[in-house]
Amino acid sequence: MTQDAVRQQSDPQRAEQEPTDLQVDTSAHTDETPGGGAQLADSGRTRRLLVRLLQVAYPHERFPAGPYERTAAAIVDAARADAADGRAITRGLAGLDRAAGGDFLALDDAAAETLLRDRADEYFFRRIRSTAVVALYDSADVWELLGYEGPSFDRGGYLHRGFDDLDWLPGARVDEYAGEPRVELVESEEAAR
Amino acid sequence: MTTAEVARYGAPIERDEPVVVIIGSGAGGGTLAYELTRQGATCVVLEAGPYLTADDYVNDEWEAFGQMAWLDMRTTSGSWRVARDFPNLPAWVVKAVGGSTTHWSGATPRFMAHEFTARTTYGQVDGASLLDWPITLEELAPYYDRAEQAMGSTHRHGRPALPANNNYTVLANGAEKIGYRYYATGPYATNATPYDGRPASIQDGFNFQGDKSGAKWSTLVREIPRALETGHLDLRPDCQAVRITTDAAGKVDAVEYLDAAGALQRQAARVVCVAGNSIETPRLLLMSASGQHPDGLANSSGQVGRNYMRHLTGSAYARFERPVRMHRGETMAGIVADEARHDTSRGFAGGFYLETLSLGPAFLASFLEPGGWGREFTTWMDSYDHIAGMWIVGEDMPQPGNRITLNTDVQDQHGLPVPNVHFDDHPNDVAMRSYAYDAADQLYGAVGALAVHHTPPYPSTHNLGTCRMSADPADGVVDRWGRAHDVPNLFVSDGSVMTTGAAANPTLTIVALAIRQAEHLLAEMRQGTL
Ligand SMILES: Cc1cc2nc3c(=O)[nH]c(=O)nc-3n(C[C@H](O)[C@H](O)[C@H](O)COP(=O)(O)OP(=O)(O)OC[C@H]3O[C@@H](n4cnc5c(N)ncnc54)[C@H](O)[C@@H]3O)c2cc1C
Repeated sequence: MTQDAVRQQSDPQRAEQEPTDLQVDTSAHTDETPGGGAQLADSGRTRRLLVRLLQVAYPHERFPAGPYERTAAAIVDAARADAADGRAITRGLAGLDRAAGGDFLALDDAAAETLLRDRADEYFFRRIRSTAVVALYDSADVWELLGYEGPSFDRGGYLHRGFDDLDWLPGARVDEYAGEPRVELVESEEAAR
Repeated sequence: MTTAEVARYGAPIERDEPVVVIIGSGAGGGTLAYELTRQGATCVVLEAGPYLTADDYVNDEWEAFGQMAWLDMRTTSGSWRVARDFPNLPAWVVKAVGGSTTHWSGATPRFMAHEFTARTTYGQVDGASLLDWPITLEELAPYYDRAEQAMGSTHRHGRPALPANNNYTVLANGAEKIGYRYYATGPYATNATPYDGRPASIQDGFNFQGDKSGAKWSTLVREIPRALETGHLDLRPDCQAVRITTDAAGKVDAVEYLDAAGALQRQAARVVCVAGNSIETPRLLLMSASGQHPDGLANSSGQVGRNYMRHLTGSAYARFERPVRMHRGETMAGIVADEARHDTSRGFAGGFYLETLSLGPAFLASFLEPGGWGREFTTWMDSYDHIAGMWIVGEDMPQPGNRITLNTDVQDQHGLPVPNVHFDDHPNDVAMRSYAYDAADQLYGAVGALAVHHTPPYPSTHNLGTCRMSADPADGVVDRWGRAHDVPNLFVSDGSVMTTGAAANPTLTIVALAIRQAEHLLAEMRQGTL
């Protein structure tokens, strides 16, 4: 989260922002070559590469293209806010194309996943994942697909809307056990030392 | 006073009037403020965060986190996985009026008698700095009663249990099947029926996000408003204490703080009580180093910041063929206590509880397996409404090297050194965690789980031990009342004082200790010894 968290502190609108960089570390700024490479171009090609990468990394048959496109856009935004990240992602995507013999988009799922597995620990892919894991799943379109019902207070909670509707197990006791009291301490000979 | 003045609530108190200054308004600070003001003692509460209330809270995990959590820069080191997964977020705690009690879920088990004598009971554990508490369960018991009454713990003092939600039904059935007996929907400090002027739970599933309904106890809904009503409290939100100063006699005489506008202010103090939670409390003492206290205030023992504990944690999520919908209902109203015992035949000292836990997809994605991706990961996310979840909370071993220090290489937004949190798991922690994951596998397996995922510990919600109580001033920072061994009018009033962590969630104990400390402070002030 690092830089973003600090930025949020000085931003009066921070309550409206989301800490999208929770898992980001700062190592990229030291362990990657500092200056080199181009910024991430927000081209159609970049978007298509990112969407494809996301679909391979986070395969959900139930998800339409929308959530992946939204997530790709969030990655582009995050990369544009940090030059070093932008360069790292540009290099990373170019590397995927190269390893794919010119076009990462032409690979089938298994081959594309293999390339990503080989790069699981590379900064550009970790950086993409740290943004993606929040951007992809923190949205009502995806919640609905996953069976999560979102805000509930305004609807009276779940008190009358199924908080206890599980019917494939018997009802369980809610009070504490009424039998003999719980043993808290089992003395062993060793402990006497 | 100018308009650039910080927003104040309650009765304004002059800055040159030496009063009781409480730093932090969470479980410890908020409780202390109420217990003192209701007896007529005048207090200033400095709270680093804003005054958020029910209307401000949102039913949205990340938005609420951005609104409530302590996000100031921190750094980490050590072999714990949090240092890799969340290098700048060692702890998940709140920066707002009410402190982390606004985020907390509400499980309130008491500590057990033998846990107050951990060193004697567990014997010498290599690498651990175990110590017996200078107080006993017997001494604390009346205060536990009062804390349970204040917090409205279910299952206690005649209060009814919360009903079973779906996640609990899975947990309890699994528990029963593998021979556990000591499970229930509490004790849990959220109302099952209206109590203390607050409503019953509507099972909305958003108590981590502040709880808009007010059914959950927090110092925000109980102690702070009541303390304000006494007319003896001056609550100053958005005011962060940055230094405690001492006079020539070695007593504390004032607290310097940054107000909402970032201006440095000084509040004179008769007594200072630090309750900033176990990272900020030692940080403030270390930042208050002076000629008289070169290694930090109250740190002649060198123990300030050491013995940091975070509880053995970990979570287990199980996937089932049929729906569970764990997100519906109270987050943690389900506690299994069978494994809380100390029984070295399991291969470790101390014990643990298993408690229901539910996260929405937004949080689950980040915490289930940090950095995770691929089909294995998305299969879990796809199963979201078929998942049951539990949290493992147990005693972790205090170690002198697990500690909060000032990282002078990195500064926060105010230019102050950030706290570095160093943590290495002790072999006892590792053994207990692996045993507990096994127990989770068996429990969920017994009710037909298709798979169980072991989620590693995430940023610490329980932060303990960094100013521990000790009988001998050489072993710790504060005495049996929470008074600094080195400074007669300086107190620590939060989870930092815990000599050892015990297996239970800590907040009930923090509140009980604060009620007890308030009584002591009042007596001393009446006698004129403070
Ligand atoms: C998600 C979550 C769930 C939890 N569930 C449970 C549970 O079920 N059971 C349980 O027992 N515990 C639970 N806890 C833990 C519980 O919240 C803490 O144990 C408890 O609130 C700690 O009390 P405290 O007084 O030490 O600190 P806090 O409650 O964190 O309060 C500290 C306050 O001090 C302020 N502060 C810090 N530094 C300064 C400074 N320099 N100047 C001014 N103000 C300052 C902070 O902003 C904060 O408001 C949970 C915590 C979280 C985050």
